Amino acid sequence: MVFHEIYGTYYQTVSDILKEAVQGEITAEKIRRIIRDRAFEESSITIPQALTDQWHILTSDGRTPIRHVPRLPLTDLQKMWMKALLLDPRIRLFDPPQDELEDVDPLFEPDFFFCYDRYSDGDPFEEEEYIEHFRLVLLALREKRKMEIVFRGKQGRHRQVYIPDRLEYSSKDDKFRLAAHTEGHVPYMINLARIRQIALLEEVKPDEAEAPPEKKDMVIMELTDERNSLERAMLHFSDLEKETVKLDDLHYRITLSYRREDETELLIRILSFGPTIKVTAPDSFIRLIRQRLNKQKSYGLK
Amino acid sequence: MPYNELLKNFSKIRDYMRDFYIYGFRTRSDFGGKIKSARSYDNERRRVESWLGGVMSFRREAAGKSVFLSVDNRTVPHNPLYRAFRTKSFTDNDIMLHFYILDILSDGEALSFRKIADRIAGEYLSYFDAAEPPDDSTVRNKLKEYIALGLLKMERKGREMLYSINQEKWSPKAWQDALAFASEAMPLGVVGSFLLDRYEKNPEYFSFKHHYLFGALDAEILEELMLCRRGRRRAEITFRARRSEKDMQAEVFPLRIYVSTRTGRENLLAYNYQIRRPGMYRLDHIRKVKALDSEPDYERLERAGRSFAEYLWGTSSGPEGSRETEHVEMTLYVGKEERFIVDRLEREKRNGTVSRLDETTYLYQTDVYDAQEMLPWIRTFTGRIIRLECSNDSVVRRFYDDYAQMQQMYETEAADI
Repeated sequence: MVFHEIYGTYYQTVSDILKEAVQGEITAEKIRRIIRDRAFEESSITIPQALTDQWHILTSDGRTPIRHVPRLPLTDLQKMWMKALLLDPRIRLFDPPQDELEDVDPLFEPDFFFCYDRYSDGDPFEEEEYIEHFRLVLLALREKRKMEIVFRGKQGRHRQVYIPDRLEYSSKDDKFRLAAHTEGHVPYMINLARIRQIALLEEVKPDEAEAPPEKKDMVIMELTDERNSLERAMLHFSDLEKETVKLDDLHYRITLSYRREDETELLIRILSFGPTIKVTAPDSFIRLIRQRLNKQKSYGLK
Repeated sequence: MPYNELLKNFSKIRDYMRDFYIYGFRTRSDFGGKIKSARSYDNERRRVESWLGGVMSFRREAAGKSVFLSVDNRTVPHNPLYRAFRTKSFTDNDIMLHFYILDILSDGEALSFRKIADRIAGEYLSYFDAAEPPDDSTVRNKLKEYIALGLLKMERKGREMLYSINQEKWSPKAWQDALAFASEAMPLGVVGSFLLDRYEKNPEYFSFKHHYLFGALDAEILEELMLCRRGRRRAEITFRARRSEKDMQAEVFPLRIYVSTRTGRENLLAYNYQIRRPGMYRLDHIRKVKALDSEPDYERLERAGRSFAEYLWGTSSGPEGSRETEHVEMTLYVGKEERFIVDRLEREKRNGTVSRLDETTYLYQTDVYDAQEMLPWIRTFTGRIIRLECSNDSVVRRFYDDYAQMQQMYETEAADI
């Protein structure tokens, strides 16, 4: 049962309060702080009083009959879900213990899910060299260490020292990419499958750690709600930062924010909506659409 | 009813959350018939704001305040919508018994119901002057519930049943990165997020591109379907078709979940016993799943599902009842330095074949149930489509009509740019 109070924020908050109470002294101030850090905006109205008057867990002077720091055993759902993870080659990259959860059956088999529009040239998750590189990248991120990476990019072979920022996975591409920057603060996205060699180096110094800011652009478009295009567009672009304003019953203005490196991808995503979406700004983006339309014109309008 | 941050049923908030997250331009008046009263809208909005404080935005419009969630999903290492699954309401006895029972059994001892109930009443509740001990049946029900959840186990010793913690050995540290990744990238990731709650601090170095968050709202439905599938059981699903206000029911055998990595939308492929063939059901339209008895002949149904899926482009099987396919041929111009277009065709096609006609011309051809469904993908090749043919004329007509309309849309202002 995925919607159950044992996973809830109130139970977790009370568990944290009891941990403090069991280990030492709990004060009204500590309770307020735990609620503020753990729970919802208005929980501080409910929880402090309920602990004593309704739930009978903590006395008004901070005593509790609970003797141990609360620990929640794994539920069957959690065990079955973890067991199902072990069947997935992407999860095995992280090297979770394979010999645990022995008597548990998986919640689902991998082929119960089918990503029908996923690209078919995903990363080779089961190749030895790829696994080795993946684990080194993960270690570098975990330990905040620099790496010397040799990889094959669009402009040939690169060898450079990189400071890792994050590991990005795309479900559509089925690929991992390392977001990193050089010591000179130049950002890079490196496909893990293109890495040829990695050497772990020293720890990143605090003044080198910060990732350079991402360059973002905006596109503004007008949508005409025909053929269910409103719902389709709202879903399709919901991975991006967006704002939608209703202009009238049929028309909507959508503002999308995107990363410059994704411009071509966004262009074809917008084209896929045909005439139900019209880009209204910026001019540079309109020009890109017009170029494609004009090129198409040379093949005739049938 | 006074306002409460917690909820009894998740289904109550599921539609609101979806609207806030996906649409984001709706005001109270837009919810119209969906809500019972202005107060219930205000309460739902207040709840969602309380859970998702940090990621919600507001805009004042003439029609009222519109609430929306706007995030660049690539910068979100943890899905904020999972917070909604941490809001289940409970009774005073629920929470009291939770902490007392787990505390009583935490030494690893196996105890009888009587011992547990007596310790609660004597040892634990004696701290509180006004506390009434819960009756035996309440304690028994809680023990039974925790056995069903897998938190406790029960063993017979002589004439007594003894309860103890169901300990499972696992190494949290060795799992942490896998869980942080899986909670966002794997089905039913909310379970992973519950596991991550056990850690003091979680990794922030994962990010996700083409990441759709709203599927999280269907977790209850997905869980039920997974459990039916796991037990090879039939299910009764209650769903609402698009633009319909009426609930419908079907008895099905769950075969597969079809996931779109481009929209995040999920569909259930299931064998429908009434119409005696497989069909697709959008997960966000399914309102309830009830497990029925087991299906002994599931292998036959799986075969039917596989054969049905052979000619799907997306999730549409064309006109109802028809299993006719439509033939599509698309010829593309590919410049000498444009090998990446052929690579695109190869990796993005879901069926069919790609062949080289001459140095700069490639042909993609396929047979699908519903060629109309291919149009969005075909349009992404605008600028290099030399020829488009389809056994269903209306598909080709639609493509060229749309193209002409787009030409007109962008040409009228050509002089301005």
